[in-house]
Amino acid sequence: MNASSEAVAGVEAIGARFDLETVFRAQYDRIARIIARVVHDRARAEELAVEVFLKLWRDRKAQDGNTEGWLYRVAVHAGLDELRRQTRRARYERLLGLVRTVPTPEEIHAANEEHERVRRVLSVMARCQSELLLLRSHGLTYYEVAATLDLNPASVGTLLIRAQQAFRKEYIKRYGR
Amino acid sequence: MEGNNEAQLGRWVDGRLAVLRPAGDWQPDAVTGLARLRERSGGERTRGGSWTWAAAAATAVAFGLLAFPAPRAAAQRFCTACLMAAQNLAAGHTTGTVLKPAKERKPAPDFTLDDDSGRPIQLSGFKGKVVLLNFWATWCGGCKVEIPWLIEFQEQYGQRGFVVLGVSLDADGWKLVRPFISEKKINYRVMIGTDDIAARYGADQALPVSLLIDKSGRIAATHVGLPEKSAYRAEIEKLLGRKTRTAGAD
Repeated sequence: MNASSEAVAGVEAIGARFDLETVFRAQYDRIARIIARVVHDRARAEELAVEVFLKLWRDRKAQDGNTEGWLYRVAVHAGLDELRRQTRRARYERLLGLVRTVPTPEEIHAANEEHERVRRVLSVMARCQSELLLLRSHGLTYYEVAATLDLNPASVGTLLIRAQQAFRKEYIKRYGR
Repeated sequence: MEGNNEAQLGRWVDGRLAVLRPAGDWQPDAVTGLARLRERSGGERTRGGSWTWAAAAATAVAFGLLAFPAPRAAAQRFCTACLMAAQNLAAGHTTGTVLKPAKERKPAPDFTLDDDSGRPIQLSGFKGKVVLLNFWATWCGGCKVEIPWLIEFQEQYGQRGFVVLGVSLDADGWKLVRPFISEKKINYRVMIGTDDIAARYGADQALPVSLLIDKSGRIAATHVGLPEKSAYRAEIEKLLGRKTRTAGAD
């Protein structure tokens, strides 16, 4: 083996050593995108995505089973938690008068943006329903959604319809049709 | 009829949720993400707190045994082993080091390149020193993370026979690299690499690639991507030879 192939062998050795990194390279993009759907701030979404992989690294059990499903579930949790935190913070700040009471035109515009509306509705819905909607809208099949959320595949359709009804009800209550 | 309603409901909700899709041009920065992950997971992995305490407790027990003549010799050996383990843990030598045993190391392929002032630098001219050969580029996120470490290592270990050599693989050459060196205040020598040299070191597939070359010019460790800073430091110290250790420990 010459020195060049020695260096390349080093590459392989490093790859074998870091299983977590292999998973990270394969899944980071998708996990960051799932979180970014819920969290408006992309930089924050990337931070949260790293946190998801750190959780995986700490959780031996998660490394052995359906790692991909586990990552999706934890990513959606992380995104929804962040969304709820942001909503709560905004509410408290309004209540305590820590911020201006009169919103700027930009703030009014942002609040009326469709994605903000959708996020708000998701943040107040039952968590399991929000998760279901987000995973499904991310393109996961019924079977994948069932595996990710640990549900019976036969009941995913019913649960999804209920979640969609709850979403529409909350949306119309807040914003009309 | 009910099926139609459900389908309509599904389309309505899907239409709303579709606005959450991030713009197509957005690309999550995996290199920076990986650097963060390594920093965080590495920090936790090298946290040797509980093991340090265990080693200290075992040492205390062994010192107690020294009072009795019969197990004294065994206790002395045990004490020495525990003290060394505790020392290593405190220095962060627990994980991440990938130094090859001396007899398995292969010679680093030699090359000569000019630095930013036009002076030729030949790798084999650094025999007798420990060299950290770092392949990088100005556009590489992981490289930017580790450059401050390399600056620190050059400053800290430079007097002890340690040298960092940076080989930039920027296609635009000095036009980009020279201002970058000034901006980052890089204190080690930088060259512009060629495809051939990059390929010989495996740096044509990924960046950053760093190699630790021992005093006899042999590759002692190869890091592809961003390693843990503590692992770098431990390897450098090991190759330089610590004062408290006997020669040839690496």
